[in-house]
Amino acid sequence: MTLELKATPEEVMRAVEALRQFGVEHCLAEADIFGVTLALEECASNVVNHALKRDSTKNFQVTINQAGSELVVEVTDEGVEFDPQLAAKEASDDGPVGGWGLQLVRRYTDDLRYSRAGNKNVWRLSRRLGRDKS
Amino acid sequence: MPLQIQISKVVSGQAADATIKLAGSLDTSTAPELERQLAPVMAQPIKSVLFDLADLKFISSAGVRVFATTRKQLKERGGQASFVHMQPQIQEVFEIIKALPGVAIFKDTAEMDRYLAARQRSHEAGS
Repeated sequence: MTLELKATPEEVMRAVEALRQFGVEHCLAEADIFGVTLALEECASNVVNHALKRDSTKNFQVTINQAGSELVVEVTDEGVEFDPQLAAKEASDDGPVGGWGLQLVRRYTDDLRYSRAGNKNVWRLSRRLGRDKS
Repeated sequence: MPLQIQISKVVSGQAADATIKLAGSLDTSTAPELERQLAPVMAQPIKSVLFDLADLKFISSAGVRVFATTRKQLKERGGQASFVHMQPQIQEVFEIIKALPGVAIFKDTAEMDRYLAARQRSHEAGS
């Protein structure tokens, strides 16, 4: 499944809802659905807010694939290149609140990769399904 | 998933100056609406806010940010923010981010009432 979305918070949640529906239709566990949808919300929000500066004329793409026991979500945009040092600084700031998104993405996914290909940012999130079963 | 917000102000003598009941999803698209509705509440001289999260199914860092800001404002006036009826997946997000150190999180209102009664007794013993 591939979605073409505008750079707005409402469109982020449209992608999140599509992923949630995908999870329901594929009978994924609630813990997996919660985890991947939260990871996508955080990742896509960062893309909209930082890479695309909430410019509603700009687009980003979300693709969702399940291969066996692995769920893979990719978020692609043509905005500003991601700066890991800036992200680390925001996460550790004691002053202004914020910078927690990446912590949540790392906690709820098993693999998180960022790449820059030409003028495109690509975030690849994957989660091993059923990993939280006791 | 939308967010429903129910705000009730409590007269003095009860548990909190304001109780905010949330249902649905507190995320990047709904957090600004909670901020807007909290602004007139926080503009009043209240010192205590109780968030009832029984029906909150989803929260992202955008939502936690609103709670953190509210907690900071209340702390600056010697007050506090408390949370009750938090679902397990919501509590896990709080624990991962560690954004709200020292906030009171109660399993249910009975636990909150016991905590407040004990605090009141302690206060009276010290006065």
